[in-house]
Amino acid sequence: MALAGAPNVGKSTLFNALTGARRTVGNWPGTTVEVGRGAVAVGPQTVAVVDLPGAYSLDPMSPDEQLTRDLLLATDGSAPDVVVVVASAAHLARSLYLVAQLRETSRPVVVALTMEDVAARRGQRVDAAALTAALGCPVVALDPRRRSGTERLVTAVEHALHCGPLVPRPGARPAGDEDPEADLRLADERFGWVEQAVTAAVHETGARARTWSDRIDRVATAPVVGPLLFLAVMWAVFQVTTTVAAPLQDALDALVTGPVSSGASWLVGAVGLGATPVEGFVVDGLVAGVGMLLTFVPLMALMFLLLAVLEDSGYMARAAVVTDRLMRRIGLPGRAFLPLVVGFGCNVPAVAATRILPTVRQRVLTALLVPFTSCSARLTVYVLLARTFFPEHAGTVVFAMYLASIVLVVLVGLALRSTLWRSMGAEPLVIDLPPYQRPTVRLSLSVMWLRLQGFLRTASGIIVVTVVAVWLLQSLPAGGGSFGEVPVEDSVYASISRTVAPALDPAGFGQWESVSALVVGFVAKEAVISSWAQTYALAEPSSARSPGALGDQLTATFDASSGGHGAVAVLAFMVFLLAYTPCVATLAAQRREIGTRWTVFGVLVQLVVAWTLAVVVFQVGRVFW
Amino acid sequence: MSATTPGAGGPLTAVLQAFRDGVHSLDEVGERTGLARDVVQACVDHLVRLGRLEARELAVGCPTGGCGTCASATATGQAGCGAVAPSATRSGPALVTISVRRPA
Repeated sequence: MALAGAPNVGKSTLFNALTGARRTVGNWPGTTVEVGRGAVAVGPQTVAVVDLPGAYSLDPMSPDEQLTRDLLLATDGSAPDVVVVVASAAHLARSLYLVAQLRETSRPVVVALTMEDVAARRGQRVDAAALTAALGCPVVALDPRRRSGTERLVTAVEHALHCGPLVPRPGARPAGDEDPEADLRLADERFGWVEQAVTAAVHETGARARTWSDRIDRVATAPVVGPLLFLAVMWAVFQVTTTVAAPLQDALDALVTGPVSSGASWLVGAVGLGATPVEGFVVDGLVAGVGMLLTFVPLMALMFLLLAVLEDSGYMARAAVVTDRLMRRIGLPGRAFLPLVVGFGCNVPAVAATRILPTVRQRVLTALLVPFTSCSARLTVYVLLARTFFPEHAGTVVFAMYLASIVLVVLVGLALRSTLWRSMGAEPLVIDLPPYQRPTVRLSLSVMWLRLQGFLRTASGIIVVTVVAVWLLQSLPAGGGSFGEVPVEDSVYASISRTVAPALDPAGFGQWESVSALVVGFVAKEAVISSWAQTYALAEPSSARSPGALGDQLTATFDASSGGHGAVAVLAFMVFLLAYTPCVATLAAQRREIGTRWTVFGVLVQLVVAWTLAVVVFQVGRVFW
Repeated sequence: MSATTPGAGGPLTAVLQAFRDGVHSLDEVGERTGLARDVVQACVDHLVRLGRLEARELAVGCPTGGCGTCASATATGQAGCGAVAPSATRSGPALVTISVRRPA
């Protein structure tokens, strides 16, 4: 006797119930698959029982299924005398395809129906007698966990052994060739038979209570309330992040700019390099730049943790539905939401993820939109500026930037569609939502840690390289002077930035200190803050090494460049930061995915959008503020 | 009584056609075809096995031990940190998209 069936239907539990868990395991030649073997008393005789690997059908997709097929259809006399197909009442149709295939042979089959309790909780009752009639073979309902019904199964097996071969099910014919359409027709016929059996045997009791997942989903995925709820949840995430992490960030900032900087300065002096360019590189470059980024670790950790909790609970899947619906409504390809969602973590894999889209047009359009999704590297800049200029509403300002990011994706997408690709076509999308669940602490912490590692790994490599490059440029004199002895405002770094700065005067941040950060940010957004830390540490070395000094100097810079409208200029700066080219790594990914021509086009679009929006924000904002 | 009409193909054909017509959920497939949800799910599973439908697990619902929204995510949206998705030891919810497979 062989026990067969799909995985996780209670097959091994039944095997142990029948054999008293006297299971031996043997390695079959050529495979590493384990097959359970035991014995059960059937009437006066002892019958060998083989517990086969889980298999959904006799069309193998894995070595396990191949072994099951080989054993069930063996023609060398080793095939079982009777096959017990273990079928879950909760997933009856899925379990019966194997029965349909076995009933095309004359091999005796008995169906063991398990998991009736699970089916009952879903409001379904399976009529074993009706199923017996529909399948043309005995069906025995049992509960192997409680060892109830196994005697009836043994009786049915004994009867099947004595009755001999069954009359094969009529209608089905082997495919006979490799024609895929013939395979589909044959499978379709089998499913027709399965569906008739299910229809005859399964009764809806009407007792299926709407689960609390269903109730929540009525709100969470509703056309109007769903998006509003999503926005409210994300606002809460940023509010909690900026509020709770602030004291930790301040403490780390005080540590880095105080004892750590002083300690590094003392160490450099102790080895005889004090008051040399090396001290500037170590203290004002590495410590100031890397240290400033490290102060954001608590904030990033908290945000990653909150997002992990939302994902683990199942809510983010609903958020994807809400986003998808919005995109489809405005005519963007439905499946494009995946790369765009990934883009909020990092733009580089998001551009690569456009490969899942079926047409070239959709891939190009989505790859051009990805840079407008606000990656986590940009978050650090938002938080620094929001806490400096809008300390009472930092969370709301950061949230507004993410909202602006979504709006930008939508508007630029619509603009490109209405100009370049008028006939895009929509790809159908089906999403099956998992039930909500209580988030697990271990999983959430694990996800948070992995993401934090990823952020630190990417940031640390980029930061060290850009810190060295910025330090070199800041040490090189633009006019007279010697290396490392020149004031930063007279360096090559400031000189290059000054040539670009006038273009950003209309946006209110045409100072070289702000523009230089944007130039460095072209390499990577993680380096924006470290470049500021370096610039201001060199400009005013003594005051820069005290908590809050960077914020004070940023305020002075933006106030000066905007004629007293510093807060509006900062908003314009943040909008520019959101919209212009995210980093060189994203450009490399775009070039790989959509080619040089579209990549250059994308950079131009980003710069035009960024400049235009920043100017509009500043010029309109300063009228009211 | 069977939900599908003789001569018009069986449940698999009906489900496949529903996808081609642009359904958005398995419930909608059930409404269009008149098939029970259990049968719809079994048909979708089988069509995926036959290569007629494409099911893609999205990494926005992270597999156990990894995620897909960090800098190390792969081109297909899967976790790039070494976690296997779909994972046999998954403990979190999964988000799956299903679409009609494009001809090779």
